[in-house]
Amino acid sequence: MSTVARRPPGTEPRRSSSRGDAANSWINVALHWITRWEVGLCLLIVIVIAGSSAASSNFLTPFNLETMALNATVLGFLALGVAPVIMTGDIDLSIASTLALCGVVMAVLWQHGMNIWVAAGLAIILGGILGLVNGLVVVMFELPSLAVTLGSMSTYTGIAFLILQGKAIINFPASLVQLGSGGLFGSDFPIASAILLICAAILAFVIHRTAFGKSVFAIGGNRQAARFSGVPVARTRILVFVIAGAFAALAAIFYLGNFDTAQANMAADQLLPAITAVILGGVSAYGGSGTIQGVVLALVLLQVLETGLGVAGLSGQEQTISVGILLIIAISGGAAIGAVRNRFRRREHRSSIALPATSETEEVSQTASINVEDHSTPEEGYKSVP
Amino acid sequence: MNAPLVRPGLWERGRFGLARLFRIREVGLISIVVIVSIVAAISIPAFRNGVNLRELLNNAAVVAIVAIGESLVLLTRQIDLSVGAILGLSAFITGSLLGQLGGIGGILVALLLPIFIGIVLGSINGVLISFARMPAIIATLATLSIYSGLQVVVSGGSQVYAYQLPTWLSQLYTTSWLGVGSFVWIAVVWVVLFSFVMRILRWGRDLYAMGSNPEAARYMAIPTRRRTIQAFVVCGALAGFGGLLYIAQYGNVDATAGAGFELTVIAGAVVGGVSLFGGSGSPLGAALGAVLLLEIENVLALLKISIFAQQTLQGVAIISAVALYAVLMRRSQQPATRNRSQSDSDTSQIVKTEVQQ
Repeated sequence: MSTVARRPPGTEPRRSSSRGDAANSWINVALHWITRWEVGLCLLIVIVIAGSSAASSNFLTPFNLETMALNATVLGFLALGVAPVIMTGDIDLSIASTLALCGVVMAVLWQHGMNIWVAAGLAIILGGILGLVNGLVVVMFELPSLAVTLGSMSTYTGIAFLILQGKAIINFPASLVQLGSGGLFGSDFPIASAILLICAAILAFVIHRTAFGKSVFAIGGNRQAARFSGVPVARTRILVFVIAGAFAALAAIFYLGNFDTAQANMAADQLLPAITAVILGGVSAYGGSGTIQGVVLALVLLQVLETGLGVAGLSGQEQTISVGILLIIAISGGAAIGAVRNRFRRREHRSSIALPATSETEEVSQTASINVEDHSTPEEGYKSVP
Repeated sequence: MNAPLVRPGLWERGRFGLARLFRIREVGLISIVVIVSIVAAISIPAFRNGVNLRELLNNAAVVAIVAIGESLVLLTRQIDLSVGAILGLSAFITGSLLGQLGGIGGILVALLLPIFIGIVLGSINGVLISFARMPAIIATLATLSIYSGLQVVVSGGSQVYAYQLPTWLSQLYTTSWLGVGSFVWIAVVWVVLFSFVMRILRWGRDLYAMGSNPEAARYMAIPTRRRTIQAFVVCGALAGFGGLLYIAQYGNVDATAGAGFELTVIAGAVVGGVSLFGGSGSPLGAALGAVLLLEIENVLALLKISIFAQQTLQGVAIISAVALYAVLMRRSQQPATRNRSQSDSDTSQIVKTEVQQ
């Protein structure tokens, strides 16, 4: 879709040699960076932190920051894992159920005398397998991922219930609890958050710096075109589901460590927040664009917002409403910015090539506006009319 | 060019060969429902029990009505995740107002208010999707949290109890006509109405066209934005109406009423053959899918299979239904494009040639 809105090569407006050009170009470069999604997220984070710490002196205390970081861990692993799936234009609704099933299996293995770390390793493998099942069914049978993962969501939760029969397993070994809720080297900075950040960095490298990552975006942008240009579409789509499953299993390990309990319905309420974080992080729900850094920033924003609203005296439900409204404002705001940019670009396009902009192109480019952001380089995208 | 859309070859469908009959999805669904019912009625005595049947049919009717609305949205290649929250919010507001109003005013409120609430909430969804250009899954995800949050805020932790409601509402649940409960009749009316709308009226054909090929639909001068909003409004209205039945059914309404309902509804529509890729399926199919899903659930419960295993089986049922339809569709598309109604393949062919030009 984004290819439609982008200008095909060879049709760039001719660079004019007027004096205003040099001045315009650095303004445009600056404009490009300022209108980046991540910059907006950072601004929002700063605003929320400033407001909250003005409202309460307890907001910026080490204890509160540590609590916030710990609270974001499980959600963070889920969101990071599902981000590549959404980038390929698919969706995985089964991540929370995968978390529950992996956590339950890990807990039961431990209860039957297995070393907790071996159990954790097996849980990660199980997570990968559950993701593989999703991916295989979606790709091999060419089914909508929404329907398949809707089905596997109930399936995995059901299996978790069957294993535990409604019971709960508690009192995990101290080492696991230390991993899930302890501080790094005796400091206040949680180990769990450090591992989350390391995983995010690895994932960001894989998504933004490797051939695999390029194929993820290519498939999300235009699956057909990706197939024709030799991108291993099936393999990549299956692999992102495996990543989602493995990250859900990681989330399960930290869930057990943080909350010290395993139930079949654990983290069931984390599915929608995880997808919210990914979308708020600037990943297009149509696939094809977005960054891992954006997802991490969105996680930070959601966490400070939740705590800040709590400080302001809003109830949990009012916080949920606020997050929903924030999501709407962010997405439609982003779309509006994209539309303005496109209009700007189209005007110069029209003046240089004298091609009438029809209503169809307008509609298409508005839809693709979010996608466009990350593809356009400032050299290509911002040349104003002299 | 619009001719095939206006008249969807209704008379061409008159050629009922037996083979043609079985190619229609709804016939297959009905036969499965009937077969499951017969087998269950013979092997499980409790299934034949009048109370069980009434419970099952009434439950299925509520899900089916909301599934009809959801199917309209799915047909246009969108999705509405907020139907459960709309149902819950409408149920709570209507329930708490009915507690204070009696007589004719109460009846009017009961009939109009839920639909009105549904229309308002549905149009918010529609505007977000077609004007703010949000993807439907994200927009309705956001409104799901907003509406369900509103439900808790409005309720303030309170609850509507059955004794506060007018008696006619609870009688509605037990009333039956010709041996069939009132809920079922209501659902049948909605199914007939929307089968007519989707099959005969231009409005319905527009939705199919948009789902089959959104771009082509725009080229055919179908007002896609307006139709999208309208589909969401109708979906919301039906979910709101489902809220009224929910009150009549359960009597007690609290802040969590309707939570998770959307997944059952979508599962029902999918089992009923409504394609998540849009353009394929029918309101009747969605309703039958809901009936089949709840019937299987009911049988499993009667067989004393753990509720947890039921969830697993439900998940497996969704995946296998989707896979089955995909296989059937691919097979029917191989010799000729005859999988959908005649008109659909006609229009898509017209559209294809036009796009190529």
